[in-house]
Amino acid sequence: MNYYVTTLLVYAGVDIIACLALNLVFGVTGIVNFSFIVFQAVGAYTAAVLSMPPDTANGGFQIYVGGFQLPFPIPWLGGAIASGLLAIPVGLVVLRKLRSDYQAIALLVLSVIANTVITNARPFLNGAAGLALVPPPLSDQIDPNTPTYQLLYVGVTAACVVLVLAVIVRIVNSPFGRTLRALREHELAASALGKNPIQLKMTVFIVGGVIAGLSGAILVGYIQLWAPSVWLYPETIVLFAAIIVGGRGNNLGAILGALLVPVGFEEATRFIPSLGPVGLVPALQWVAIGLLIIGFLWFRPEGVLPEPRRVFEGHPQAVGGDRGRTS
Amino acid sequence: MNLYLAAFGFGLVSVSVIAIAAVGFTMQFGITNMINLAYGEVMIVSAYAAYYLNHAGVTIWVGLILGAVVGALFSFLLNRLLYAPFQRKGTAPIGMVIVALAASLMIANLLLPIVGFYTSSYQQDPGPVLRAGGLVLTTVQVVIIVLALLLMLSIHGLLRYTRLGKAMRATAANPTLARNCGIPTGRVIDAVWLITGALCGMAGVVAGMNSENFAVSSGAGYLITILAAAVLGGAGQPYGAMIGALIIGMITELSAAVISPEYKEVVAFGILVLVMVLRPQGLLAKRGALAAAG
Repeated sequence: MNYYVTTLLVYAGVDIIACLALNLVFGVTGIVNFSFIVFQAVGAYTAAVLSMPPDTANGGFQIYVGGFQLPFPIPWLGGAIASGLLAIPVGLVVLRKLRSDYQAIALLVLSVIANTVITNARPFLNGAAGLALVPPPLSDQIDPNTPTYQLLYVGVTAACVVLVLAVIVRIVNSPFGRTLRALREHELAASALGKNPIQLKMTVFIVGGVIAGLSGAILVGYIQLWAPSVWLYPETIVLFAAIIVGGRGNNLGAILGALLVPVGFEEATRFIPSLGPVGLVPALQWVAIGLLIIGFLWFRPEGVLPEPRRVFEGHPQAVGGDRGRTS
Repeated sequence: MNLYLAAFGFGLVSVSVIAIAAVGFTMQFGITNMINLAYGEVMIVSAYAAYYLNHAGVTIWVGLILGAVVGALFSFLLNRLLYAPFQRKGTAPIGMVIVALAASLMIANLLLPIVGFYTSSYQQDPGPVLRAGGLVLTTVQVVIIVLALLLMLSIHGLLRYTRLGKAMRATAANPTLARNCGIPTGRVIDAVWLITGALCGMAGVVAGMNSENFAVSSGAGYLITILAAAVLGGAGQPYGAMIGALIIGMITELSAAVISPEYKEVVAFGILVLVMVLRPQGLLAKRGALAAAG
């Protein structure tokens, strides 16, 4: 029971971090990053190969690059940095010239293809079977199977959540964040005021990538395995559902969405008895995620906690806030 | 050398399948401004409709007609019940992409419990093998090629020589102006979804006939190949999609002979990335994927 609670808390922390990052990229800046889960996966894979022993260990039952056995904070930092580095070429290809809906489909295609490549290219990251026996952080000093370690992991995850939240709240409330919202609402107007849309989008895309990588590193340290089947492209849609339900552009909404959709929804359906043919319940879960997105976009596109209207205080009843409600 | 010639033959069939699918997809985008990410799933739904008829003992050619009907009705209803209401509400293109992706997820997962996870294949007689100038193709493959040629010619005739085609082109160019000129754009768009849906359904059945088997999970792969062909040709351009299909189909089949069939979609993706970097508007379009000016 205790183990169940700590597992749930770590998952919640990881999902909150991921949703905060996606909210910055999608909710605040308006980039539809359909390959978000790829950045989480890169963080996880990097953290895994940085912390694992060389692939000759354990009888060499899995093959992968790297295996550096680095001590605790380095794999997590490495995971975050690797995702940020990946965001640079992807962003340069996708964000510079393409129309926004093309950006979305290009990123979606990237997500599907990245998974296909990793699944088929076994020598790189052990293919479809994925990596197992990833050593948990600090496992050489504390036994991971003790309640103390579990609590410690929850604590470290919570610290990361607080850190990420602080960074993102600061970004969103800063003049830079205001520029991002201006970009989302009217790109042409923002560039007419001398803002460089590509530079802004690239910055946000890379920051989002770094945070997504961190979330992947935290997750892989806890579950100790990572395979292509856990980062299929529909996983990104779950996070999008969380943001849309919680409230696009609102950090509290992103946290609420993370608790409601990936954590709450999946946990609630865990207790549904398996009925009908094999795989009926998981399939219906995905249908429900789709319904959730379509339902919210139709009836309440601003989400449960709408983004606060920000009005320039100097002029009461002035030209209005710096955002209008658009979809 | 024979391997490459064989790959060329497979390439011709592959081009035919992709062309049928990509022309439908690109017309949906060009005329109704909808990137229908559920296209691959509608193909699968039609393929399974034909599958059940086929396994009830009916020839697959009747199944092909059923697939076209199912694809047409499904696409029509998808637009009427989901896409059109959202578009009328003024949802931005980016919101429509999310709606379409959610729809695709729902269709795939509603279909899964019905048809199962396993791959299925049609009961068909490939017919006598035909040889011409080193090419070796089954009768079924030759019929698929001829069918694709006929469909491309009919689309050309429709767009070029009929009132409906003219109305479609007008709606694509400027829907408001078209409506003001007395073109019933609502009915034109219904017709577009029915026609492209029929193409989508036929593409689904033909793709199932051409490959050894198919499953619900094939939808994503279909979509990527179609996107690559449509974007390469210039999105929204039916003739561009035909050229795109020709290039993508040939290159993927030849690369399958050279590298490995598992990387077909990766090669398609590579072409897609190159197009997006070098010529985002595609081969034919003036604007295409380039950022809108306003």
